[in-house]
Amino acid sequence: MKLSLRWLSRHVDLTGLEPKQILADLTMSTAEIEGLERFGDGLECLVVGHVRQCERHPDADKLSVCQVDLGAAGGVVQIVCGAANVAAGQRTVVIRPGDTLPAQGGKGALKIKASKIRGVESNGMICSEAELGLAEAAPGILVLPADAPIGARFVDVLHVQDWVFEIDNKSINHRPDLWGHYGFARELAAIYGRELKPPVVPVPFPVEGRSVAVEIRDRDACPRYCGLVIDGVVAGPSPHELRWQLAAVGQRAINLPVDLTNYVMLDLGQPMHAFDARHVGTGPIRVRRARDGESITTLDGHKRKLTAQDLLICSGDKPEALAGIMGGEGTMVEAATTTLFLESANFHAATIRRTSMRLGLRTDASARFEKAQDPANAELAVHLFVDLLRRYCPSAKPLGPLVDPAGFRYEPKRIVLRRARLHQKLGLALEDPRVLGILESLEFGVTVTAAGFEVAVPSFRATKDIAIEDDLVEEVGRMFRYDNIPEVPLRGVIEPPVRNEELFLQRRLLEVACTDLGCSEVYNYSFVPDAVVDACGAAAHAYVLVENPTAPEQSRIRRHVLPSLLASAVPNLRQHAEVRLCERGKGYHPEMADEHQLPHEVHELAFVWTRRDGAHPFGELREAIAALLARLGYPAELQRVWHGKDQPWVHPHRAVAIDRDGSPVGFVAHLHPAIARTMALPATTAIACLDVRALLANGRKIARYQPVPTFPPLPVDVALLVDEAVSVAQVAEFLRTVGKKLVRDVQLFEVYRGERLPAGKKSLNFTVTLGADDRTLTDQDEGKYLGKVREQAASIGGELRG
Amino acid sequence: MDTTARREHWLRAIAAAADPAALAAIDTRLFGPKGEVPEFVRSVTALPKDERPAFGKAANAVKVEVEQALAARREQFAAAALAQELAGSAFDPTEPGPRAARGTLHPITIVQNELVDLFTSMGFRWEDGPEVESEYFNFDALNIPGDHPARESQDTFWCKAQPGLGRNLLRTHTSPVQVRTMQRLTRQGFHAPLKVVVPGRCFRSETVDKTHEHTFYQMEGLVVDRDVSTANLIHTMKTCLRVILERDVQVRLRPGFFPFVEPGFELDVNCPFCSGRGCSVCKQSGWIEILPCGMVHPNVLRQGGIDPEAYTGFAFGMGLQRVVMLRYGIDDIRQFMGGDLRFLRQFPEVAR
Repeated sequence: MKLSLRWLSRHVDLTGLEPKQILADLTMSTAEIEGLERFGDGLECLVVGHVRQCERHPDADKLSVCQVDLGAAGGVVQIVCGAANVAAGQRTVVIRPGDTLPAQGGKGALKIKASKIRGVESNGMICSEAELGLAEAAPGILVLPADAPIGARFVDVLHVQDWVFEIDNKSINHRPDLWGHYGFARELAAIYGRELKPPVVPVPFPVEGRSVAVEIRDRDACPRYCGLVIDGVVAGPSPHELRWQLAAVGQRAINLPVDLTNYVMLDLGQPMHAFDARHVGTGPIRVRRARDGESITTLDGHKRKLTAQDLLICSGDKPEALAGIMGGEGTMVEAATTTLFLESANFHAATIRRTSMRLGLRTDASARFEKAQDPANAELAVHLFVDLLRRYCPSAKPLGPLVDPAGFRYEPKRIVLRRARLHQKLGLALEDPRVLGILESLEFGVTVTAAGFEVAVPSFRATKDIAIEDDLVEEVGRMFRYDNIPEVPLRGVIEPPVRNEELFLQRRLLEVACTDLGCSEVYNYSFVPDAVVDACGAAAHAYVLVENPTAPEQSRIRRHVLPSLLASAVPNLRQHAEVRLCERGKGYHPEMADEHQLPHEVHELAFVWTRRDGAHPFGELREAIAALLARLGYPAELQRVWHGKDQPWVHPHRAVAIDRDGSPVGFVAHLHPAIARTMALPATTAIACLDVRALLANGRKIARYQPVPTFPPLPVDVALLVDEAVSVAQVAEFLRTVGKKLVRDVQLFEVYRGERLPAGKKSLNFTVTLGADDRTLTDQDEGKYLGKVREQAASIGGELRG
Repeated sequence: MDTTARREHWLRAIAAAADPAALAAIDTRLFGPKGEVPEFVRSVTALPKDERPAFGKAANAVKVEVEQALAARREQFAAAALAQELAGSAFDPTEPGPRAARGTLHPITIVQNELVDLFTSMGFRWEDGPEVESEYFNFDALNIPGDHPARESQDTFWCKAQPGLGRNLLRTHTSPVQVRTMQRLTRQGFHAPLKVVVPGRCFRSETVDKTHEHTFYQMEGLVVDRDVSTANLIHTMKTCLRVILERDVQVRLRPGFFPFVEPGFELDVNCPFCSGRGCSVCKQSGWIEILPCGMVHPNVLRQGGIDPEAYTGFAFGMGLQRVVMLRYGIDDIRQFMGGDLRFLRQFPEVAR
């Protein structure tokens, strides 16, 4: 919303205050001001010219050659003018050669030069309102009052320049009173301790005469409806001052009655509707809920289907307006209108909001009503409208009484503001007079009591905004200015905070994965694109679906982290020869629900390691994950072959489960080759995933001290020839069992496959470290061990080599 | 040969040794088994008694001198060898070795971890909450009833109805964890103080561009205790910003409206890009909006099972992306979710 400084100044004297200061003070006490601009900026160079002579251009029918007297600003100059309405005797606005018209709308700035137009010299330009940026379009040049002093600066003759503040609408959503200038004027009066003038001078209405009866069928939806019939209206264009005032705040001028309804709305925040009285006829005006299936064509030409939730303004039973949102087609005041039926009503905020939302029809009126306007304003607005109308159109007069069947009696809401509560919440002992001054400046009624203040809330703050004691704390705090409250540290007992082990574990896992293992942490959206789901073969799974996704193909919420992480490896692999990505994230499984009817949530840490050179990082990743878990005190076994249940991206024969005390907490795998192909990733990509909650379930394992061996270890190299089907883990287990207590460590150092071996066989070459606590082992021990290995190798289908 | 002649003979031999091997040979010849020098010293026994003391003294002096000469020569060789070793083969210290691991944490993670460290050091617990959230926790429990306009201003992503699931949404802020935490802690009676931070992912349906993201990160904070005030909030927030932005920030606290706090504030920091003079980043205002916050609304405390008469509290919801962008000078918010290693690898730190 835009606020005009000139407009505000009508309600409160702001002399001596810089616009920038006002901006800062409103921001600090009331609402965020997003911008400040000068309306009519750059018009200082324009001067008043008197058209002495005006003759047809000898060579062009539509051009006139004018002799324009600029007085002290340049004497008499010749200007060729294209406007149809230019005539001798007019006072006009002239820009002289060398001066520049400011940029307007889409048009850039225009520098004026002396030139010849169809052979006739022209020294300047006579301007229209559009060229000055004061209207969107203009039928001809701007003609000034006959008493405008010749040669004077245009901006000194008429009030055109203004300062305009741009309010962030979001910051006044909770303040119905701030949806018009008067509300902001009240704030400024309170901030600067200046006097606020009354909003309107009451106008007497006839006690008898023509009126239209009003029937409010739903008092909850329409707490108040004021109607007035006004005759003698001339619906021509509004005078400059009104048009420019509206233009300054971005409101297009239409005709006098409509402009005035807009003016009143922008002043008091009270939307009004001016019907052509012929349309309303004898009425009665009926405010009722729509019937399901009923429709109305609104004045923007759209036919709107209604439901029983919507509220209509009808003449008799015929819908004339969508209450509080928009008038019906054809009800608008036009040039031919002479008699108005003026509506100034109050509507239930949520009713208006629901209809406006459902129809996607947001107007200045609906924006205000949905904030819960003060019913008192409905009547004030009529007075203000009539007062202004008579000023600009003396022939206009109310034909009969103001019809106001509901009326409005306000018994002020009373709230006790306890002194102790105020001081406690602000953290500052504000003195009573200060508190009293602030509340009274905002038009609260205040009685000081022993415990604090008894506060009567004015009607314009009572609809929604001020409801509880704490709301009053805010009023005092913001006017005192929060910035003036000295900071105070929190006090209390010193105790270590309760640790959420899962969060700390997740954090350390990531830190170690990134710092020790060389992973780069990636964030992917929770929305997993359909293309990725399809490529990963996971389209048949159940997903949480978003009703209103940013794009239709992104409505799924991921179940697992890996698919999107695989997708983010693709572009990175084009830039880097080797990519190691990890991501922590949540996955959602809608087929299971928790106690709040929320989908089951999994907390994962996923890894994708891939290289362009075809080398396979699986083994490296497996070792890395084992080291990572050991580092954090969660050592695990990565031995058991796993088949990738529910995770189609897992190679069904090339994966190990990550087990802790026998229960799985994740896996390390080859990427499934078919998925690798559709994702355009190397078939050698390695993947892993940890379920952080499962990992936590079996607790942290604190390392146990083992005495450092006193006797030297005895390393023995063992090469075993086995079938390809026999795993390293099986053989290692065999080597350990055979040596019983003597085996301290079994490490594979080579897997040999080659021509010298029988087909389908491999040689696994281990270093087995033997040791004893009570003696130094000898060659005999080595011989005995190898003997046992040789004897028992058959149990795993193996054979000791060499 | 007499003493002088032998001395000179030996010293010459030592001086003439061409390399450590030759010197070692001379050492053996002079001092090894049957070495010339001890033999010479022992030859004293062949002399008459009265000549012995003089000879013995002279011979010993020669022995010491020869030993020293040998040692000095050895030193020389060692020094030359070391000099040669140092001069050695060509070495380029700028030649890179094998790469150290090049992993990086996401910049939001780095900043989030630092904030968590800061707040846990002040006694806050670190908590988490679901990203797919119920309408109740995201709105109703936070004093945002069904008809409240604040609901639309949050551009909520709603979830489709599914069997067994309630009316769910993607949380629009981390604030639902306020009531979740309070409810969890008050089930067995509330013990003040409650201090908690909740960093996490939030969602609002916005069109993504350089300054807007539909997926963003917030860090919620909540303090509930007897006698918590706005003055405490100001201090806590200033401390937090000073630490995280690593400068002595200026802040201003102005009114802001959020239904779950009363009073509500917006906290701005002076713009680091223009030092408050006004620039495009701060839209010429000199201030950057960074921290919506406020005193917890009594209705929210009630939802959490806490008596608002006995306790007060403050809450804040810091936009993490904004803080990260300020700290590193990042001007395009899309980078955070872009997954591009060329961006991510620019931030090799871990939390301080």
